[in-house]
Amino acid sequence: MRKLLFLMLAFSFTIVGISASIPKDTVVIGMNTGIFISFDPAVCYEVEPSVMVMNIYSDLFKLQDVNGTIQAVPELAENYDISPDGKTWTFHIRKGVTFANGDPLNADAVVYSIKRVLQLKKSPVWLFESLGLNSDNMNDTVKKIDDYTVQVITDKSYAPNIVMSIFAESWGGIVDPKVAQSHDVSGDMGSAYLADHSAGAGPYILKSWQRNSMIVLVANEKYWRGSPKIKTIIIRDMPESTDQQLSLKKGDIDIAWNLTPEQVNSLKSNSDFNIVSVPAQSNEYLAMNAGWGPFKDVRVRQAVKYAIDYDSIIKNIAGGYAIKVQGFIPYGYLGYISDTPFSQDIARAKQLLAEAGYSNGFEVELVTNTTDRRRNEAIAIQADLAQIGIKANITIMQASQMYTKMREQGIQMIVAGWGIDFPDPDALAKPFADYRVKQLAWRMMWYDDHAADLAEAAGFELDQSKRVQMYADLTNYWFANGPFAILYQPLNYWGTRSELKGFDQTVKGYSLAFDLTKIYK
Amino acid sequence: MKLGSYIVKRSLLMLLVMFGVLAIVFAIVHVIPADPVGALLGGNAPPAVVDRIKTQLGLNKPLFDQFVDYLWGVVHGNLGTSLQSGRAVAQDIMEYFPVTLQLSVMAILISIFLGIFLGVFSAVYRNKWIDHFSRIFSILGVSMPVFWTGLILLLVFYYILGWLPGTGQLSLFVIPPDRITGMILFDSLITGNWAALWDGLRHIILPATVLGYSATASIARITRASMLDVLTQDYIRTAKAKGLSKSIVIYRHALKNALIPVVTVIGLTFGGLLEGAVLTETVFGLPGLGRYIVNALLVLDYPAIMGGTLFIALIYSLVNLGVDLIYATLDPRMRT
Repeated sequence: MRKLLFLMLAFSFTIVGISASIPKDTVVIGMNTGIFISFDPAVCYEVEPSVMVMNIYSDLFKLQDVNGTIQAVPELAENYDISPDGKTWTFHIRKGVTFANGDPLNADAVVYSIKRVLQLKKSPVWLFESLGLNSDNMNDTVKKIDDYTVQVITDKSYAPNIVMSIFAESWGGIVDPKVAQSHDVSGDMGSAYLADHSAGAGPYILKSWQRNSMIVLVANEKYWRGSPKIKTIIIRDMPESTDQQLSLKKGDIDIAWNLTPEQVNSLKSNSDFNIVSVPAQSNEYLAMNAGWGPFKDVRVRQAVKYAIDYDSIIKNIAGGYAIKVQGFIPYGYLGYISDTPFSQDIARAKQLLAEAGYSNGFEVELVTNTTDRRRNEAIAIQADLAQIGIKANITIMQASQMYTKMREQGIQMIVAGWGIDFPDPDALAKPFADYRVKQLAWRMMWYDDHAADLAEAAGFELDQSKRVQMYADLTNYWFANGPFAILYQPLNYWGTRSELKGFDQTVKGYSLAFDLTKIYK
Repeated sequence: MKLGSYIVKRSLLMLLVMFGVLAIVFAIVHVIPADPVGALLGGNAPPAVVDRIKTQLGLNKPLFDQFVDYLWGVVHGNLGTSLQSGRAVAQDIMEYFPVTLQLSVMAILISIFLGIFLGVFSAVYRNKWIDHFSRIFSILGVSMPVFWTGLILLLVFYYILGWLPGTGQLSLFVIPPDRITGMILFDSLITGNWAALWDGLRHIILPATVLGYSATASIARITRASMLDVLTQDYIRTAKAKGLSKSIVIYRHALKNALIPVVTVIGLTFGGLLEGAVLTETVFGLPGLGRYIVNALLVLDYPAIMGGTLFIALIYSLVNLGVDLIYATLDPRMRT
């Protein structure tokens, strides 16, 4: 009996699972999907779900990498007119486009979708509101002219790239009004239903979402640009990066989404794998509270900027997956400046401190959040500052707690990152230099009217070359006076199996642009 | 005391415990100097937007009012709406809990098997090398972090040997059973989906072993102590004297009586497994209640944290109540 049991046990262990390899028309992604909340374009705001939403819904415009810069190009809006005062936009909708279920996509659907975002008032609504559109004025500002023409009136004349970019992101996805309204539950405009279903005209259809387990996208055979080559995309939830690494090497997934720099570097020498990396749409920064103690003095702020060893942080902490950028406008953006005026210069930093009357240094609280990378950055900066006599005490917080404290202007010094909301320098100049918008500059109490005026004026400038010059002036002023040190611009990177092709094109401009139709096997 | 009034007394006590849990968890999540809106919106949103969302979610009401609202809802069976998912917390729990339950049941089966096996051997071969080995082996289970054991087992059995599948509940191209209870193994069994049953079993071996192993020590220790106690009893000596074989004496006569205290430990261990499931679910990518609560914690989703904690406390109390009732039936002295 015992022998029989043993044999059965041994037998059951040795049967190797039917290791079905992944079919050619299917791509499997291993990803931590813990932050996925909803696939409704009016609700979704987190990075990973947003890029999926952009492949399920089509927008009036689409963000694309054009000769190295990310730009909004016409998509469902075949063309558009802007009134001479720059406020009235007329979109001419492409004819003959249908939703995945065959319903026609027309002006009614576009107007419905914009108003839906304004009415539901979820996380992304503030981007439309920043153009002066809201649920009170929407019947006057968002109008159907005829079946294929829509008019939108903004409160000011914004630079065209700003308006087009905002309409090109996940919240700009055009929703089938019939489907949304037929699933309305107590006035939610189908929001509960669209959390895990789709009603779009993009290249993919959301077939199913088992939360914290698996997401399945299937090709939209009615997609107006033609059905994509990969017919099924499966996203498997793998919260552990080690699991992703093992599964990728085993051939159970095609793309590993959340590898650490060490894990992705371990794939380098193996021809079975590719490493795909692109500049991230974010900045990693150190900020000082310009309203607090020693940091009120611009010389102290400059001293800190000269104390940091930027190259070491990029090499040792970011594992090389970062670009040395020091202005607030990242690589690939209109107005990007390649100047890097700051590098570690301890003597100069000490001299600046002495001039400001702090030759003996001072004590300061340095706050950051719980990720390994941030913690390591804080430790490196702590060591750099110690060299010029500044004693930084590190406090690690949950991101939610950190941002709350920051919004209350309660932080002396912080290491954090800024994810870009839309691909225009305005999405960086305002937060980093204009305290009036109450974002980063305000939170760090840098009440500088000259910087704020420059940032504001550049946002309204319609002449591209003049605008570039204005951002250059602002950046130089900001280098000399601002309370921020940009540590680097991160690179996003993925490990893929080498039979997967075209993923480098898919992720160009990630996370603002992401085009799944580019992949094939 | 009659069994009936004992049950009533215990149930009332349980209600009190639930209220205590609710009040404490509510206090803790609200004492943290952070707000869920900051987490929901990330770092970018301007203050006016933050304020509006707060109002929408009812987070700007006085704390006491929020507590009363919540309590009123719970009494009426409404655990509130998750700030993050926008769905009813009860609905979320019903979706995730079966996965955790299935994992915990499989794990407890493994730890009962291992624990009793090791405990009996230890007692029978007291102070011999088998005893030392089994004690060290079971202590290792408690000492090694579940996280680490899980990754090592995955590395060996999935990556190097390839005997078992990787993470998740089912292989990618296995058709899952229709959802009836939400427990894949059970659903596959009753719908006769043998492919899914086989695949699901292969997937659960590693996580259940990791989780079960971590709970083995306490069961082994109690079994050993209890067995040692029983083995010195007169009736065992009589049985041996009668010339019964060693295995009959140990398994038929001694073990049966030695198992009574083990029942309590199993009950308590089961509650502990629900906690241990959090890490196991993360390592093995299982969509269970543990991960749901952890995700909720990271964004301070109050209703989800409170609903999830309350639910686990309820299960824990129910299991304990069950154990006590079994005890009370077995041994009337316990009903005082």
